[in-house]
Formats: sequence, structure tokens, C-alpha cells
Amino acid sequence: MGDNQQQEWNLLLPLLPALVIVPILALLGVDPLDLGFAVILAPFLMFPIVLLVGQVFNGNEVWVGKLKEGGILALSSLAISLIAASWMIIHFLSLHQKKVHGDSITWLNFDVLSHDGTQWSVDAGFTNISFGIWLDSISIMLLFVATFLCFLICWFAIGYMTTDDINANRNHRFFAEFILFSMGMFGMVLADSFLWLFIFWEIMGLCSYLLIGFYYWKESAAAAAKKAFMTTRVGDVFLMVGLLMLYNIYGSLDFAVVFDDPSTGVGGTIVEASELQPALLMLFIGCVGKSAQFPLHVWLPDAMEGPTPVSALIHAATMVNAGLYLVARMVPFVDVYHHGVPGMEELGLIVAWIGGITAFMAASIAFVQNDIKKVLAYSTMSQLAYIFLGLGSALYLLAADHHHAGYFVLGGALFHLFNHAMAKGMLFMASGSVIHEVHHAHHDLHHHENPDGHHEEFDPQDMRNMGGLASKMPVTSIAMMLGSMSIIGIPLIGGFWSKEAIIAETWLGALEYEPMLLGPAILAVMTAGMTGFYMTRMWMMTFAGQPKHEASAHVHESTPWIKTPLVTLSFVTATTGALLASFHVGEFLSGEEAGFHFGVVDALKHTFFPEKQALLVVGYTTIVLSSIVGPIIAMKVHGGKLADGEKANGIVEWLVNLSAAFRPMDVTGMANSRLADSLQNRLHFDDLYEWTISKTITPLSAFSAWFDANVIDGIVKLVERTSVSGSMWIRTYTTGSTRDYILMAAVGALSIFALIVGVSQ
Amino acid sequence: MIDPSWIAGLAAILFGIGLIGTFSRKNGIVVLMCIELMLNAANLNFVAGALNTGGVEGWVYTAVAIAIAAAEVAIGLAILLSLYSTQETISLDEATLLKN
Repeated sequence: MGDNQQQEWNLLLPLLPALVIVPILALLGVDPLDLGFAVILAPFLMFPIVLLVGQVFNGNEVWVGKLKEGGILALSSLAISLIAASWMIIHFLSLHQKKVHGDSITWLNFDVLSHDGTQWSVDAGFTNISFGIWLDSISIMLLFVATFLCFLICWFAIGYMTTDDINANRNHRFFAEFILFSMGMFGMVLADSFLWLFIFWEIMGLCSYLLIGFYYWKESAAAAAKKAFMTTRVGDVFLMVGLLMLYNIYGSLDFAVVFDDPSTGVGGTIVEASELQPALLMLFIGCVGKSAQFPLHVWLPDAMEGPTPVSALIHAATMVNAGLYLVARMVPFVDVYHHGVPGMEELGLIVAWIGGITAFMAASIAFVQNDIKKVLAYSTMSQLAYIFLGLGSALYLLAADHHHAGYFVLGGALFHLFNHAMAKGMLFMASGSVIHEVHHAHHDLHHHENPDGHHEEFDPQDMRNMGGLASKMPVTSIAMMLGSMSIIGIPLIGGFWSKEAIIAETWLGALEYEPMLLGPAILAVMTAGMTGFYMTRMWMMTFAGQPKHEASAHVHESTPWIKTPLVTLSFVTATTGALLASFHVGEFLSGEEAGFHFGVVDALKHTFFPEKQALLVVGYTTIVLSSIVGPIIAMKVHGGKLADGEKANGIVEWLVNLSAAFRPMDVTGMANSRLADSLQNRLHFDDLYEWTISKTITPLSAFSAWFDANVIDGIVKLVERTSVSGSMWIRTYTTGSTRDYILMAAVGALSIFALIVGVSQ
Repeated sequence: MIDPSWIAGLAAILFGIGLIGTFSRKNGIVVLMCIELMLNAANLNFVAGALNTGGVEGWVYTAVAIAIAAAEVAIGLAILLSLYSTQETISLDEATLLKN
């Protein structure tokens, strides 16, 4: 094993040149802001290399053995991005500025036709589209999340993807699409205009489609990819309309122009809320599609058909945050304290309500899911909805000029984005580790008995086949425990800090300023309790109790490629929450302060002993519901001792024994109820959409197909048949006899002669 | 000096004979000869014109036309030889490979 591990580590040697590129660039005097281009270019240039070399040397021994089918190349390009991004972040923090705008590169420069009522005229050089780097607290936070998680999940993917026979000789496609996606995410975060944001947004959408459909020969995967693509497309159309409306108002889509003073539009006109608010709502619909919020949420659970690293990266940690990022970018528009446009309170309320509804709905569906990845998918949806809820409250409070509360909840929401991305990325990797090992255990087990490989249907993702893995997968169980604790919001760990901030400030807004926020606020507290239940349920079903299938009894952790990123992220999840909270990261993220300032006591006091009585009640209700009531009910239902003779390490063993200590609760009656049934069916949203489509789009498509086959093809075929029969008729004049040709030539010449004579007279 | 219209008439008759010969004869060599006849009818017209106007253009055209006719005969005979070696005939009625 040790020798083997040594060999695996040797594979990382090609990474070394990538590690020194950025320091060398920096020593040569490259402006740290220009390193942003390196962040984007490294994966972008590696993408065709991996794809083409992989295609040419498919199955080659060095390519498969040493380069892991391109995985090492992809990892090195992401290492360049990570180092360059870290360098930029450190540089940005040392500047103590709220935002930095790098030099732009002009991309396109074109004239614009304009109409002044009577005639058209050309404004030469009116519009130029340029690309530059825009850094502020939001983008550096997301930049770190994206580069760090892309790197770690690529590392994980090398272990996960290259050990499965089903992927053999296809992985170059995976890694190429993976780094193209990374390029899209980095670009979107760094872009300095809404147009570039949209372009990179679409690149991510494309990669999401390609990667969900990675197992394209599986019908369910192909359908899921199509569903994800089409659903997000609905949102993207609105997004594009919103961008055109913004362009109409401001005459530019550059952040520098738009955010300079959002209350004055093109040519110094005053921007009215009645024209800006519809544009922002259009953008928000795009965000709803991308971040899988109600009512465009149906694609995310199906997207779990993709390989697990894809779920971890795209559908939990990065791409689904794009919608949140865009909503966070709307803050300057409504922030009346800093030149915002007054009168847009409704926008914030709509965002908050969508968030509240999605959070509650997704959490309730997560109650009954048995597929480990589906639970995590609904949990992602629910947590993203929390962030939307926080952003919505922030938008409302800022629009109503309560800027202190507004900035606080904005910071909390963005901090939750960070915590959630880290925890959920890790949870998906841990679930991938479980699935991988259960699948392999099952495979080995049946390979010995039945070498043909034909065995009964077995779903390695179904938690009803797991159980008792705590002793067999120590690293994974601890990682998953920490991730779940962060998502649940167990005090002092990860997501606790940010979730408390969102809930407390939403309640503050509801109680003191706007009763309409009360709905989302109540939903948020209820969802916190439900989160405690379904996350604990997932952990207990997977790791506690007796093995529920023989395969689960033969699981063991193996490859270090999977364990290393898990350990790293466990550490990050466990510590960064408290660390960043004590540095008052919220005030930095919301743009209120240019840097960090340290204060543990402040942070603790603000969270545990708020000044307002009502917030104290809300805060402790949330803690009790999420950390005590929810987990205990889950333990009662799904907990249990490990099998005899099995022993997990320290805290995990304690947790498993704790779960066994509660009196078991029988929930068969509840599990068979109609509510559980409709939750199983995802509250019938998919059925409703399918029915609507089958009644509207399908007949229309059928008619179009008929029209195409009969009318359009009919016209084309008529032309074709006429020309064929015409040609057949003309062919009879080629007799093959020379004399006929000469006669024709003579007659022709005489005709031309006669014509000329006739015309000239 | 002969009236140019007489020469033109002679040329027209020669041309007509050549044309009818090309249409009606089966033998490739005879058809080739008829084509030469038509070319020379044209040459005759040039010469007559040149005599009438006193310029040199007509002579030059004639010289060029004779050179072209020589080349044409060479190519024509080559085609007929090749036709004979492949089809064993020089009858144009039987060389109908390009029909339809």
C-alpha cells in the first residue's frame, strides 16, 4: 500500500512547473490584476490540449497511466488558476480598496445606427466591447471559492473517474469539459461587464449540459441533460431581455459605467424605478433558472445523473452560485444610501419570497428521498434559497434605506454562499466516496461468484442499501459529519454564523419594517429545523446502524486521490466559519468596510446575545430546532448501533451510540401517507410541467413537423421533380451523332447571325 | 478587277458545299475535308476584301486562318486515327458513345 501510494504521489510531479509559473510572472513585474487573465487563460488553453491529445492517444499507456487521461494536465491548469487567484486576492486585500478595475482589452468596436425620428445616422465608434478584470469583495470571495473547489474537485475526480471501467478511455472528454467549465466560472466572476458575465454564464450552461449527459448512452442521463439545458434556457432568455433593457437605460453594460451612479442613465437622465425594476426582475428570472429556485427548480435533482464530481462542482459549489452572484450584483441599483434608484422595495420582497418558498419546499422533499445524491441536491436547493432569502431581505432593506441592517444581511448571505459552497462541495465528494466504495464492494463481491458480471439490479446511491459504514470509512464519515453540521448550523461550525445572520436580520426586517417579510422569515426558521432532520437522516442512514446490504459490509476506503480533498475541505469547513466570522467577514463582503477587522467577542455577542429581545427568541428557537429537535427526531427514526465488533473512531462512535440511545420511533404510517407519496413525487411539479408541455408544445411541434414534412418539403420536392423531368427531356437531344451536333451548331450560329442582322437594322 | 460580289458569291457557294458535306457524309475524313472547304471559303472572302480595300489586315487574317486550319487538320486526323484504332471505323454514324 505504501509503495503504491508513493507511485500515486509521483504522478503529481508534472504539477511542479505549473506551481512556479505564477511566481515567475509576478517576479517579472506583471501587475497582479493582470493575473486575472492567467486565471481564465490557463484552463481555456488546456481545454483543447486535453481534448485533442486525449482523442489522438486514446488508450495510450503513458496517457492513461501517468497522465490519468488528462486529469493531471487539467489539475495543473487549475493549479495555475488557484495560485494566480490567491495572488490577486492577497494583492487586493493589501490595497484596502472597495473595488479595483483593471485595464480592459478592447474586443469589438462597432458603429451603431441611431434614429432621430426622421432619419437614420451612424454614430461611429459608439460602442466598444472590452474585457477587463473587476475585483471587489464579492468577486474575490467567489473567485476563491471557484478556484479552490475546482482544484480540489479535479483532484477528487482523478481518483473517482479513472478507477471505473465504465469511464475508461472517455475521461479526456470529462476533464476537458471540466476545465472549460472552470474557465467559464472564473471568467464570470472576474468579468467587468454584464455582457461578459452573460457569455461566461452560457459557457457554464453548455458545460453543465455536456457533463450531466456524460453517460449519454443512458437514456435517463440524456433526458436529464436536456431537461437541465431547456429549463435554464427559459431563465436565460429572460436574462438576455433584462440585459437589453439595462443597456437601454444605461447605454452600456460595463460595471464601471452602470455602477458609477445607477440613478443616472444614458445622457444624464434620471432613471425611474418603473423602468429599472422590470429589467432587474428579468435578470432575477435568469438567476432563478440558474440557481434552481422555484418554479424553475425541476432540473437540479435530475442533474444528479452526471458523475459525482460534476454534481459536487457544478450543481452544488459553483455554477448554481452564479444566480446568487448576479442578484448580489443588483445591490448597487437599489442601495439608495449610495446613489441607488429609490422605490424598488418590491424586488427585494419577490426575491425573499421565492427564497422562502423554495427553502421550505426543497427541505420537505428532501425528507423522503432515498438516493443520497438527491437528498444533497434538494439540500443544495434549500440552502441556495436561504441565500436568496438573505439577498432579498438585503435588497428590500437597502431599498427602504435601512442600510445598516441591509449590509448586515447582505454580508450574511454572501458568507452563507461561501460556507455552503465549501460544505456542499465536500458533502458531494463524501457521497461520491461512499457511492464509489459501495459500488466497488458490490462489484468485487459479485465478480467472485459470477464472473460474467450479470447480477441483479443494484443502486449504489440508494441509502436503503447502506448503513453501518461509520467503522469502514472513517475519513468519509467524519467529513460528512462536519459538512452536515455546517449545513444544519450546529453552533460555532461553518454555516451557523451565516444562517443566524440571515434569519435574524430577516426577522428584524419583518418585525420592524415590513410585515410582508414575515412569511419568508417564518419559512426560514421552519426550514432550519427541517434541515436538521434531513441532514441527520442522511448521515444516520448511511453510516449508523447495521449494514442493510451485503455490499455495505465489505466496503473499505482506498484511493488517496479521494481522501486528500476530503480531509482538506473538512478542515476548511470546520474552521473557516468561526475564523472568518470573528474577522467580521460580513462587513467586508457587503462592501461596507474595505478590509477585515478582528473581534471574536463582537462576533459572539452579535450572534448569541443580540440587543433586541425578539431576535434573541428567534435565534435560540432556530438553534433549538435545527441542532436539537431535527437531529433527535432523525436519530429516533434512523439511528442505531453498529454491528457487533465494529468500532468507529472517537466522535463518530459517540454519535452513533447517541443515536442508538434514543427510543426508536415507528414512522411506517407516516411514510405511507399521501403527503409522503406526493413528496416522493416531488410535489408533482415535474408531472405538471410534463403535462403542460404535452398539451401545448408537443402538439405545436407535431404540427411544425407535419408542416415541414408536407408543405416545405413538398415545395422543395416539386422543384426537384420538375428539374429532373426537364433534364430527362433535354437529354434526348444528345443523340451521339456528330452530324446532329454540327447541324445544331450551324443553326445556332445562323440564328445569332440573323438576330444581329435583325437588331442592327 | 473582278467585282468583289462575284468572289463573295463563289465563297458562299464553297461554304454551302462544305456545310452540306459536313451534314450529309458519314466518312470522317470527308467531313474533315468539308470543314477545310468552309475555312477556305472564309479565306477567300478575306483575300477579296484585302484586294478591294488595299489594306494588309486581310492578308494577315488569311495567314492566321491557314495556320489554324493546319493545326485543326492535324488534330482531326489524330482523332480519326484514335477512333479507328479503338472502334475500327471512321464512320461518324457509328461513333455514338456520348448518346444520351
